[in-house]
Amino acid sequence: MTGSQPIIPLLQVENLCVFSRPQAKNQAPELLLEPLSFSLYPGERLTILGETGAGKSLLMQAIMGTLPKPLYHQGRIRIAGQDLDALPQTEREQLWGRRIALLPQEPWHALDPLMPSQEQVSEVYQCVKGRKPDSADHQATQDLLAVGLQGAEHKRPDQLSGGMAQRLAFCAATAAGASLILADEPTKGLDTSCREALVQLLCKKSTQGTLLTITHDVAVARQLGGRILVMKSGRLLDDGRIKQVLDDSACQYTRQLIEAEPARWPPYPLPNIQQATPILEAQELSKQRGNKRLFEHLSLQIRRGEILGLTGDSGCGKSTLGDILLGLLPADSGRVYRRGGFAPQRYLKLYQDPPASFAPQVKLAQLFDDLIRLHRLDAKRLPALLERLNLSTHLLQRHSHQVSGGELQRLALARVLLMEPVFLFADEPVSRLDPITARDVLQLLVEVATEYQCAVLLVSHDPALVHKICHTQRCLSLP
Amino acid sequence: MMRLLLLRLGQAALVCWSVGTLSFILMHLLPGNMAFRVAAGRYGYDNLNLAAAQAVEIELGLDQPVWEQYLNWLLDLMRFDFGNSLVSGLPIAHELMHFLEHTLMLAVTAMLLALLLALPIGIYAAIRENCWFDRASLLMSVLLRAQPVFMVGLVLLLIFSLQLRWLPVAGFDGPRFLILPAISLALVLAALSSRVIRHAGVEVIHSAFFQFSRIKGLSFGQTLIRHGLRNAALPVVAFLGIQLVTLIEGIVMIESLFSWPGLGHGLAHAVFNRDVPMIQGAAMSLGLLFVVLNLWVDIACHLIDPRGRAES
Repeated sequence: MTGSQPIIPLLQVENLCVFSRPQAKNQAPELLLEPLSFSLYPGERLTILGETGAGKSLLMQAIMGTLPKPLYHQGRIRIAGQDLDALPQTEREQLWGRRIALLPQEPWHALDPLMPSQEQVSEVYQCVKGRKPDSADHQATQDLLAVGLQGAEHKRPDQLSGGMAQRLAFCAATAAGASLILADEPTKGLDTSCREALVQLLCKKSTQGTLLTITHDVAVARQLGGRILVMKSGRLLDDGRIKQVLDDSACQYTRQLIEAEPARWPPYPLPNIQQATPILEAQELSKQRGNKRLFEHLSLQIRRGEILGLTGDSGCGKSTLGDILLGLLPADSGRVYRRGGFAPQRYLKLYQDPPASFAPQVKLAQLFDDLIRLHRLDAKRLPALLERLNLSTHLLQRHSHQVSGGELQRLALARVLLMEPVFLFADEPVSRLDPITARDVLQLLVEVATEYQCAVLLVSHDPALVHKICHTQRCLSLP
Repeated sequence: MMRLLLLRLGQAALVCWSVGTLSFILMHLLPGNMAFRVAAGRYGYDNLNLAAAQAVEIELGLDQPVWEQYLNWLLDLMRFDFGNSLVSGLPIAHELMHFLEHTLMLAVTAMLLALLLALPIGIYAAIRENCWFDRASLLMSVLLRAQPVFMVGLVLLLIFSLQLRWLPVAGFDGPRFLILPAISLALVLAALSSRVIRHAGVEVIHSAFFQFSRIKGLSFGQTLIRHGLRNAALPVVAFLGIQLVTLIEGIVMIESLFSWPGLGHGLAHAVFNRDVPMIQGAAMSLGLLFVVLNLWVDIACHLIDPRGRAES
């Protein structure tokens, strides 16, 4: 916070709401983001906390002026007193990078896949600030050094880890000198250490300007400090200083969000599995992808009913390891033993992205029927199983895109459990779900797996989560 | 890179053998006596008699069993000896070089013209997605692609040579003769590649990295040049490899139509005369041309996109 606040806020949002244009003439436009007002003064930080799909990203797009065609906004957005809607599009675009910077949600997609890191930053100095090429290069090298990316100057985005790509995107986005920084879920998919480094970077940058962050991660909001808005399905629920809101909020939803943080989960009573028979054993596994070594001489054993948590940076080979254990990928060396003589279809996988693991054109009931017929399963078990997972049987009459992400992931779990699995590889099963749903789904997964005596290899980027609900933990790190 | 070169070399050898063998078999399956057709080719149909045909048969070893003729050809091929033309008696290699020169001239000119047409049209249509220009270029492209290549050539020939008398009808005697065949071929190539360029362009313009570059502060033009072109070039160049089939096919038809003294024309004439070594030679050259052009495409893709390098 600066000592004396100027009268004009750097960013002022007044009754901003976003609608989707109606498809047919007689339809009313759909309200996606309910009226929202706030002002941000230099040196201030504002964090918007809320579940996925709460209209938070629409706010960012409305401020940038990049709302997709079928959407439009109402209300006023002023940057340093200038009404954005009064500006023609070309002048609005002149603000990009120079006045407002937007940190992208998926840095890997936002960076040019063919361009070396340093050039993606230096081109901003060259094209936007009009510097000479060598001066721009020099400045870019300095920038990369400042965020700990030395040595990565000539690497392409596909050669960077998620955390490095996000820091590179940060350098590129802010190179043109914008004082208002918008960060849209900047820590999505990053592991804890990367997350903290990035948050510190954001804090440091915002001392000179203003920071508006969107996140569903309470820990990130806590670290950023400043002011917070809590949103749920396009509606503002809570507003105040971070400490006050997070420690002592009257709003029930805010409290639920805080409770959903893995670090705050109550310790889960896991049954003893010391006496259980091992179901799967891997010895001396090694795997290389391209010329990158993922892991070497890795051995592990899983018993029936055991929950084994696997953590590590994105791209370190967690999913690859799971696929090798399932026999979906070959290992370069080493062996996997599946014990007990169970059929191969009882070693299964739960995917990260629920919509991607269901055929969208067919009703869910059809998908379940096909599975039951193919493997000659007992169809009578399904209703009880759905009830156990708190799912209504009516959901089966819908298509996969007509149910929520949390429901769909539980349906995916029901589909897996129908097969009476002995080993389940759950690849970040809740990372696409918002924190409250994520907690519920994950606890249910562990509960039911224990009941079925099914071994689970749970992949997650959150050590706190793994710590709470797993018997054993393994951390994969790149050699 | 080494692996790629070896792979293409192996492919070239396979093309030589298979194209040669196939044309050999097809020639022997054609109805009619081969010796008579060759003799007719040499002396003309008026001077053709049984004695001439028998002389030809003995001279060329056509009385030998078929498999023996085939083995002889294969041995010669391994020594890089393409043999002599059955009709003119000249070495095939010499004639092929002459043909190849003209074919390359036509192919390269047509490709360059096609790029000159397709690049601006494709890129402009991508920038102004779904505007009238984009739709018009789609319509033209569909109209052109719906025609066989020689139809396009024929229409141009009727207009510019026969009606307006601006350009010569056929043959080759100076650069003026190149214009019509090259344009016909270029039009057909550009019809498809302009759409491919447009689609690649639209995809890049809508990509997250394009938008991020804009948000970094770069203008649309700067972004297009710095991030758009190279990323869009990748699918376009890869597509060129596939389009080469159209090019080779088009060359055979256009050369025949315009009596262009190239490989395709040579091939067609050799077929009429049952000049088996000539057919094999011409077909093989076209096959090899395809392999060589594909190698270029591979190398270009390799240079544009360094990502695959570590893998291969």
